[in-house]
Formats: sequence, structure tokens, C-alpha cells
Amino acid sequence: MAATTAALRDPAPAAAAALTFPRPIFATVAPHPFLQAHLAAPQPSKAPLRANSRTAHEFRRVGINTGSLTHCNGSAVVRLGNTSAVCGVRAEILDEAHVQATADFAPSTGNETEEDAERERDEMESLRLLVPNVELSTGSTPQHIPGNAPSSFAQTLITRVRSLLLSTSLVRLSDLRILYAPPSNPDGLDAEPEPQLKGYWVLYIDIFYISIDGNAFDAAWAAILAALKNSVIPHAFWDEDLETILCSDDPSEAHSLTLRGLPVPSTFAVFEGKHDWNESGEAEEADWVLSDPDAFEETVCRESVCVVVDCTVGNKGTKDGILKSLEKSGGDVVDRDAMKGLVKRAVDRWAEVEKATNTKP
Amino acid sequence: MAPEAILSHLHRADGSATYTHNGYCIIGAVNGPIEVLRRDEMPEEATVEVNLRPAAGVGSPKERHLETLLHNTLRSIILTPSIPRTLVQITLQVRSLPDEDSSTGVNPSLTLLPHLLHTALLALLSASIPLSTTLTAVLIALPATNTPTASTQLLSPTAIELLRAKPIRSAHVFAFSGEGKMLLNESDGTFSYEEWDEAAEAAEEVCCREDGGVGLAEGIEVDGREGENLDDWLRSVVRTKVEQEQRWKSAR
Repeated sequence: MAATTAALRDPAPAAAAALTFPRPIFATVAPHPFLQAHLAAPQPSKAPLRANSRTAHEFRRVGINTGSLTHCNGSAVVRLGNTSAVCGVRAEILDEAHVQATADFAPSTGNETEEDAERERDEMESLRLLVPNVELSTGSTPQHIPGNAPSSFAQTLITRVRSLLLSTSLVRLSDLRILYAPPSNPDGLDAEPEPQLKGYWVLYIDIFYISIDGNAFDAAWAAILAALKNSVIPHAFWDEDLETILCSDDPSEAHSLTLRGLPVPSTFAVFEGKHDWNESGEAEEADWVLSDPDAFEETVCRESVCVVVDCTVGNKGTKDGILKSLEKSGGDVVDRDAMKGLVKRAVDRWAEVEKATNTKP
Repeated sequence: MAPEAILSHLHRADGSATYTHNGYCIIGAVNGPIEVLRRDEMPEEATVEVNLRPAAGVGSPKERHLETLLHNTLRSIILTPSIPRTLVQITLQVRSLPDEDSSTGVNPSLTLLPHLLHTALLALLSASIPLSTTLTAVLIALPATNTPTASTQLLSPTAIELLRAKPIRSAHVFAFSGEGKMLLNESDGTFSYEEWDEAAEAAEEVCCREDGGVGLAEGIEVDGREGENLDDWLRSVVRTKVEQEQRWKSAR
């Protein structure tokens, strides 16, 4: 209020003075030159800073708080700067009788071959045992007004989350199967009775955004990881007399999910600066790849890259990074060599997120 | 088998193309530059809108994701500042898919993506929308083997080849511009950076390297040179169309 009255009292500066803008006006009127001015500012010894005072390589610190929702099997609240998301995991039972076409049930062996992994993925996908949902229209950002149908951005986000969940095989099928071991083999033979499949646990994973300041995907995924790690599934068993699936009330019989690895995404945005040609006619390098873009940077950058790495496979920690997914679209600045640098940044980020998810809050 | 394309066959659209390859058939139509809704209007650029309709059923979030990828990629090659405050509307209808597409183990969005990009590009060329460069795209699949080497890569495989090579460890879609710059990459599965780099190398060779064309058009001669890359194929399609249209002019 005081600012507007001040502007009314003070008329526009004299025409002879250079045109200057206060920071927020500059950012709204000319976003591209605003960011360009920050990144291109001469600072001989230091790395260039973005408008949010981070360097180009710097990610925001991730804060995770788990177990705050009472009616979920697992939950997490994740803060990535001003982007914050809540994830709740709820488990419901799917009776085997309601499943249309059960795949040939084979009990999981100790060694997992590629064929087993493939079959497990097929089963999880066809039965829809993981149901993720993302809600952006919560008043978290002016681009998504509450009450509207899911926008194209929301639908893209949910598709990416779902396909990453399935392709990384993060949740083990064995954690979700409800088996029944009959006391004796119905065929009357001396052989060990085969366990029967009686049903599945279906996980409904819901993500709500409290606020979005860029990089919605990384925040959503971090929330899912933390919520799944926090999830506790009660022990379900088949009752022969009632001929139905019952759950045990005893928390000591419940099991948590043993996740397969820890895939962590890192999103980057490419800022194409104004290319000035120098005297010899070569275009000067003026593109920056910004880690973990915020909302302002996302409006100005066209090209984005998302690298998902998982360093839990080997025993050498971050030296054994395996890539789970790579997405890049919107421009031609990032080539194979630049991608190598981004994979390295993603591996470093993996270590940060791994520490955050494993420390008890 | 080389892909096939027919251009400008829809008379009510500004540009159109039907593209067929390996059992995938897609009809693309482009209308533009046309009037844009006030709320989508951009003062200094053209707005690009992509609509994708699947082979069966109505559009789902999967189609929205593909539309977003196509939108981002095509917007980077369309010269939008040259047609400001207009709309370039690209509609793609998937006419048919190979029967095995849903059981290959590779995400069906990935197998469809290169064909969508080619259809859209041909339709844009047919509509004479100003473009800064052409683009070509290819799918590379790395099956699960004990000794993964460059020779086990599947370049632009058919659905049956993918099914036979099951399980597939990772699948990669690359799109390159006419100058050889990487415009799009969607990679899924489990792979190391070295494997990705080799796949990118192979994709670049198939798409736009001179004297390339590994595994794409074996045994087919174009202008006397055996084995063309995708960029050459694209130019030959447009050249054939233009020659056909100009046949009366060059009749004498």
C-alpha cells in the first residue's frame, strides 16, 4: 500500500535520466534480459549467480518429514525451497476373484533374472497395483486454478511419475502379494503344499502440492520415495472358515516395503542467452544449464533435461551410477558431451537426496 | 523396409502427410498460420498446438505426455518469431499399430514417438510452415544380454523384433536436427552412461550422418547410393512430391 502511494506522489523521473527499474518490475517486464543480466554479470573469481542467488550447479536443499498423515499407510511432506508436496500412500486389498486374467503365479525365487523382472513388471502394470495421482489445482500456483480439470501439464506429470514407477520396478511384487499356505497339499501327495495367491495390496499414491516454485517432478518423486519407505502394510491372511481375506491388528506383524534401489531424478533447465558475436564472427558461449529451476526460470527456459540415476546397485556408492531414465526436449543446446556433465551433477545430487531420505527426521 | 509417406493428400488442411513404417500408420494434418484464441496469443511468436488422437479410444494422459514432447520439440524448429500472433495447429491421428505393440515390453509411447515426429515434420513441410531445420528420429533398443556390446543394439526395430528380443533392458528414442544436433531424447530402462553414448552414436548415424543408414534401408538404392540415412529419405520424399507437382511445368 505504501509503495503505491509513494509512486503516485512521486511522478516519473526526468526523461534525461537513464531508465531504471526496481527488481520485481524488471523481472515481470523483461524476464529474459533479467536472468541474462544475472548470469552474465562479470564476477571474475566467483561462479555466476542466478536471480535466486544460487549458482548454476546448485540444487535446493531437500527437506523431508515423514509419517505426519494419520489415515495413510505411509506419508511424507517434502520441501524443495518453496516447492512443497505432500504424498500419502494408502493400501487397499484387491481380491483375486476380482482379477480378470491372473498371470501364471510363480513364487519369487532368490535370484531375479531379467525374465522374472519383466514378468513382474507386466503383472504390476496389467493389474494396476500402483495407482499414482497428482493434484496440482490446489491453489499452489497461479497457473493451476483450483476447480479446473487436470491440465496438460498435470497429465504429463502423472504419466511421467507412473512410467518411472513401473520401469524402475521400485515396489516389489512380493510385498504386495497376499498368499495362503494350505496346511496340507489338496492332492494328498507328500509334496510341500504350494502357496496360493489370494489377493493383492493395491497402493494408492496421492500427491498434493502445497506450493509450486518450479521443479514439480523432483519434489513429487522425492515425496513418493519417502512415503513408500515410510509405508507399513498390515499382515493380510486368508481365513479358511470365513473364506475371506482378514488383516491382523498387531503392528508387530505388519511389514514395510523393501524398495528396489533408490532412483533419484534431477531436473535441469537450459537458458539460452542472447548470442553476441565477437570480432572474429564466432558466437560467444552464452547458454547456461541451471540445476533445479524455480518457477521464474521455468517460464524463461525452453529446453529441459531430466536425469534419473540410481547409485545403490554397486558397492562403490556414487561411482557406480546407473541411469534409469533420461529425458530431454525443447532445444538443441545440450548435446552428448553436455549430458555427461549433467549426469555427474545428477550423481552428486543422488548422494544429497539419499542422505535426506535415510536420516530419521 | 524404408518408411513410406504421402504428402498433401487432404485438401481441406493447409498441409498433410500420411506416414507408414513397420506397421505404424499415422495421418498428420497442419493448419497454419491461422487465427489464435486471445488467451493463447503470444505477441512476438506463433503459438504451436499439437493434438494427438490414439488408434483406439479417447485421449488419455499418455497422449497428453506425447503431445507435450512433440510440442516442445517442434516449437524449437518452427520459426515462430516469423509468424507472430498466429496459431500453428498440428493434428496427428494414429491410424494403425502393429498387433504386437502392446506386448513388446517397451513403453508403447516410446515406440510410437519417432513415427509421430516424422509425420508431424512432413505435414509441416507440406503446409510450408517456416522451419529452421529438418528433424529425424529413431528408436534404439538394447536387449538384456550377458555381454552388452554395440552389436547387440536393435536399430529402429519392428514390433516383432522387439518381442523376439524380450526382455529389453533399455529403450532410447533420439531425434536429431538436420545439422546433427540432438533435439529430443527419451530413454527408459536400466543403462550406463557408456551404453547411452553408444546408442546416441548409432542413432546419429541412422538419422543424419553422411554415408550412414545402418540397418534402415538395406538393399534399397537411392540415386545409386546404397543405404541412405533418414534425413536423405526425408528429402527424397519431398523431392518426389515436388517433381510430381512440377511435371506440367517441365513437360516441354
